[in-house]
Amino acid sequence: MNLVFAAAIGVIFGAGVHLLLQADLLRVVTGLALVANAASLTLMSSGLTRGREPILPLTGDAEPASDPVVQALTLTAIVIGFATTALLLALIVVLYRRRHSVDLDDLSREEAEAAARDEAEEPALDAWRELGLEVDEPEVAR
Amino acid sequence: MILVAGPLLVLWVAGLALAALDGRRRGVGVLAIAAVAVAFGLQAVLLGRVLADGPQELVAGGWAADVGIRLRVDALGAVFAALSSGIVVAALLQAVATGVRSRSLPALVVFLTLGLSGLFATGDVFSFYVFFELAMIAAYALTAASGTAREVGAAFLFAIVNLVGSFLFLIGIALLYRATGTLEMVAVAEAAGRLEATTAILIAISFFVAFGTKLGLFPFHFWLPTLYATASPPVAAIFAGALANIGAYGLLRFGGAILPNELALSATALIVIGSVSIAYGAIQAIGRRDTREVLAYSSIGHVGYILVALGLGGPVGLAAAVAFSVANALNKALLFLSSELRGRLTAAIFLVGVLSVAGVPPTAGFFGKAALFDAGVRAESWWTVALLFVGGALSFVYVFQIYQHDRWRPREQRERATPLGSAGVGQRLAAGLVALVVLVLGLWPQPLLAAGRDAAEAIVVARGDG
Repeated sequence: MNLVFAAAIGVIFGAGVHLLLQADLLRVVTGLALVANAASLTLMSSGLTRGREPILPLTGDAEPASDPVVQALTLTAIVIGFATTALLLALIVVLYRRRHSVDLDDLSREEAEAAARDEAEEPALDAWRELGLEVDEPEVAR
Repeated sequence: MILVAGPLLVLWVAGLALAALDGRRRGVGVLAIAAVAVAFGLQAVLLGRVLADGPQELVAGGWAADVGIRLRVDALGAVFAALSSGIVVAALLQAVATGVRSRSLPALVVFLTLGLSGLFATGDVFSFYVFFELAMIAAYALTAASGTAREVGAAFLFAIVNLVGSFLFLIGIALLYRATGTLEMVAVAEAAGRLEATTAILIAISFFVAFGTKLGLFPFHFWLPTLYATASPPVAAIFAGALANIGAYGLLRFGGAILPNELALSATALIVIGSVSIAYGAIQAIGRRDTREVLAYSSIGHVGYILVALGLGGPVGLAAAVAFSVANALNKALLFLSSELRGRLTAAIFLVGVLSVAGVPPTAGFFGKAALFDAGVRAESWWTVALLFVGGALSFVYVFQIYQHDRWRPREQRERATPLGSAGVGQRLAAGLVALVVLVLGLWPQPLLAAGRDAAEAIVVARGDG
């Protein structure tokens, strides 16, 4: 059973990380949700004990009760994971409304162009020019 | 016991109420300031009580100790709680004085403070995670609440990177629970001493990555500069002055108190990563002209010192880590709050922060760095002393560079457009209060150093070898 859990967590975590590294932000969020679920599964599997239902009062000599704590922890972790996923999706909506793209490549290209425009208005470069030195013109927007 | 639970109750009730109100109205902002100020007051009194009488404990609802939610405030937690809430009060004061443009800002800041106050006060590893996420989710929402696409992009990166860190932390907690069979910090620390080395080091690494990400240490720093440079000054002050404390506190609590053997084992690695962080932050900061970016890279550099102090270890090293964290949080909050203010006294307020970052007396920053030197000399780690000296010299260069650049040059040659008119009284008051604290701690450093020593003692006692 431990092996099954370990393998499942490994596969889910790996798939999550793979998605995290994609350029499409929706995939990134999906990847994060997978990583969150891998963490929840790890929590579950940290208390994998077979036993009776853990209801008080425990009657002495019967077989030991299973661990109820991990269930509570996992429930909390699921709620937190759900909240963060919702928040990230909301962020994507905001980004999409502003930029009409959810692709990281598009977004960073636009940002680089904006940075290049700022660079072009660089006061320091003017100072170099005043001194009569050559200045490499920054490449502005393709 | 009202002192332990009081701040959480006040902030929780206030946060819920504020969430329903429109934060752009001044009255709502004032309400938020009042709530955080009350929490800060309670935490300051609690700090005094803890330093005098030792740790304060409370098990919520009168449940048995291992069933109920357990709050346990020792000197370390009390210092960080009072520090963080105090900085949030000042930042919120400035935000409200400037005029809040997003309706959710006051509520989010109150929830963020609630998360911070809770995680510094809890005695349970999993509650720590819950409060930690509460503070972080409020922070993600705070960064996204306003602004241009670039800011939302920075917020997205911040959220993704930190969430991965959080889930690694959660996995670390699961491993710790599996290995020790308990979540109660004191019992965990006891049981962790008996763990196999391979298990313990795995857990320690997952915690280190989580808190390193939160602090913005060198290999985990890439989310930080854009975020600090694009957020509004009060929000940046909250991030650098209050939220980053999670990382320092987490490393001290989980490294210093719960896994001290692994901390000692990785001392060299910590000093190396810390040194790289210091060098990287300082060199990048010198190369930037935009004040906020310089401050962001300076934050990366300065958290490296905390790591070096942890690496030096021992009560002196831990005390230095605490004292430096406190001074650093105040410095960064002060600089972010004052860097874009203009008008009477603002240059003086900014200068206090500049001197403190450079480590010039009479400021808190001087004693933070002096504590580090002390730890380095006592550990006879001359390498570290040399590093501290070079790092200090570099920070001297970049802070005076921004001072000169911002205050001594004509407006049109500055990188960032600064407001034409004079800043309002409230805006200056907020920064001025922090500057005053930095100066007072510089002239009368006894509380700072005593708090560091007591906090270090609390850590050593918690791991049971003191």
